[in-house]
Amino acid sequence: MLDFLIFAVTMISIWSVVALSLDLQFGLTGLVNFGQILPFALGAYGPAIAAAHGFSLEEGIVLGLVLAAAGGLVVLVPAGRLSQDYWALVSLGAAELFRLLMVNVAPIAGGQDGTAVPRVSDPVVAMVLAVALLAAMLLLARRIDRSPLGRLLRVLREDELLAATLGRNPFRAQAVITLVSWLMAALAGILYAHIVGYVAPSSFTVGETFIVWTALILGGAGSLVGAVVGTAFVQIISVSTRFVADWSGLPFDLVANLRLGVFGLILVLVFLFRREGLFPERKVTIHAADP
Amino acid sequence: MLQILVNSAIYASEIAIIAVGVALAYSVVRFANFAHIQYAVIGGYLTYTVRGMGFDLPVATAVSAVLTGLMAIAVERLVFHPLRAMRPEAKMIASWGVALLLRSAVASVFGGAARVFDIDTDSYLLGDAVVTSLDLTVIGTTVAAMIVLQLLLHRTRLGTGLRALADNRDLAQTRGIPPDRLTALMWFVAGAFAALGGTLFALETRLQPDMDLQILLPVFAAVTIGGLSSLAGAVAGACVLSLVQNIAIGIDFGSLFTGTPWYLPSQFRDTIAVAAMVLVLCLKPRQRRSSLVR
Repeated sequence: MLDFLIFAVTMISIWSVVALSLDLQFGLTGLVNFGQILPFALGAYGPAIAAAHGFSLEEGIVLGLVLAAAGGLVVLVPAGRLSQDYWALVSLGAAELFRLLMVNVAPIAGGQDGTAVPRVSDPVVAMVLAVALLAAMLLLARRIDRSPLGRLLRVLREDELLAATLGRNPFRAQAVITLVSWLMAALAGILYAHIVGYVAPSSFTVGETFIVWTALILGGAGSLVGAVVGTAFVQIISVSTRFVADWSGLPFDLVANLRLGVFGLILVLVFLFRREGLFPERKVTIHAADP
Repeated sequence: MLQILVNSAIYASEIAIIAVGVALAYSVVRFANFAHIQYAVIGGYLTYTVRGMGFDLPVATAVSAVLTGLMAIAVERLVFHPLRAMRPEAKMIASWGVALLLRSAVASVFGGAARVFDIDTDSYLLGDAVVTSLDLTVIGTTVAAMIVLQLLLHRTRLGTGLRALADNRDLAQTRGIPPDRLTALMWFVAGAFAALGGTLFALETRLQPDMDLQILLPVFAAVTIGGLSSLAGAVAGACVLSLVQNIAIGIDFGSLFTGTPWYLPSQFRDTIAVAAMVLVLCLKPRQRRSSLVR
C-alpha cells in the first residue's frame, strides 16, 4: 500500500507539472494546444537518445530541453496566422508527427520497442525529485500568473484587440509563455524518463494529452491549485485501474476501457454542469496606484 | 502508375465521405467535432452487427447509417446544444469528451478482437492495375453519396435553409428558418455519412476498436487541407492527401538517386498525412469562408 502511495504521489507530481504547463497556455493565454504531450515527449526523448547513443546524463537533460524549445519555436511559426481551431489541429498533428517518426525510425531511440534509460531506482528518491519539481514549477507559474506578463496574457485571452490598443505585442507574449510552458513540460518528461527507466512512443499518444486536458478542465482552467487537484483525481483513477480490476473481478481490458469512458464523462459533465471546474479562476482586481 | 491512381481513389473515397461530415458540421455549428471519428467506427460496427443478424450488406449499411445519424442528433441534443453559447474551443474540447465516451463504449461492447467482413469479390484488370468489385463499390458509394448531398443542399428547401444557416445564422433566423430543426438535419446527414465511411473503411480493412486512430489523422488532415468549413475542400483534401501518400510510397527513390531500388516503407503513410497537414497549415493564408454558401 505504501509503495502504491509513493508511486501515486510521484505520478501525480509529474503529470501536475504537465497540467500546469497546459494551464499557462490555455488558462492564461487561451491557446488551445491539443498536443501538449509533445514537449513532454521531446523532454523524455532527450535522455532516451542520450542513452541509446552513449551520451552522459547531463547531455541527455540538456538535449531534452533543447528539443522542447526547438519544437515550441516550430509550432509557434503558424500560431500567429491561424485561428484557434486550426492551431489546435497543428499542435495535435505535430505531436503525432513526432510520435510516428519515433515509431518508424528505429535508429533514433529504438523505434516501437523504445529504449531503456538510467533509472532512479529508489522510489522515495524519485518521489522527492518529482515533488520538488512540482513545487518549483508551482512557484514559477504563480510568479508568472501574478506578473505584468500574466495580466497581459489574461487581457489577450479575453480581447485580443484591446491588448493591441494598449500597445502590446500579443504574439511576443504568447511566444514567451509557450516557450516557458514547453520547457516546463519537458522537465516533467525528462524526470518521467529517468523514473520510469524506459521511453517508448506508445506513452505519448493523443490520448495522454486528453488525460491532461480532463485534469485541467476538471480542476478549473486558469487555477493553479485546480491543475494539481484535477491531476490528482485523474491519476488516481488511472493508476488504480489494476486494483479495480482485481477487486471487481472484471477483465483488466474492460476496466481500462471503462476508465477512458469515465474521463470522457468527466469532461462532458464538467462542461455541462460546472464550467469553471472545481476550483474556479479567481477574479483578479488590481487598483492603480495613486500618482 | 495506374495502380497508384486506383489505390488513391479507393482511399480518398473512404476518407472524403467522413471528412465531408466534419466540414458540414463545422460550417453550421463552427467547431471541429472530434467525436465524428467515433461515429464512423460505430457505423462500421453497427453495419457488421446488423449484417450478422442475417440482412444483406446494403440493408445493413442503410440501417447503420440511419441509427448513427440519430445518434449524432442525440449527442447534439445532450451535449453540444446546451454548450452552443460557449466558445468554439470549449466545444472542441467537449467533443473530445464525447469521443472518449463513445470509444470506451465501443471497446467495452465489442472487445479488442478484430472483425472482418467476409464478402466475395471479383478482381478485374484495368490496364496493368488490379481493381476488385469491392473497390468499385467503395468508390461508387462515395460518388453517389456526394451527388445526393449536392442535390440535397442545392435542390431542396431544407438544403437552401441549411446553406442560409451556415452563411449567416442571425439573418437566416429572421427570415423564419428554424435553426434547431435544420441543425438536427445536418447532424443526421453528417452521422449517416460517417457511418457509410466507417463501413467502407471496414470493408477494405477490418473492424477493430482502435481503427479511430487510423481514421483520425487522415480525415482531419483532409479537412484542414481543404479548409475546415468547405465541403468541396474536404473532398479535394482527401484526394490530394491520398495521392501524395500513394505516390510517396509508390516511387522507387533508390533507382532515382543511387541505382539500387529503395521504397519509402508503407508504415510512413500516416506520417506523410500529418506532415502534409502541418505543412499546408504553416503555408496557407488565414482560414477560408464557408463554401456551403456558394
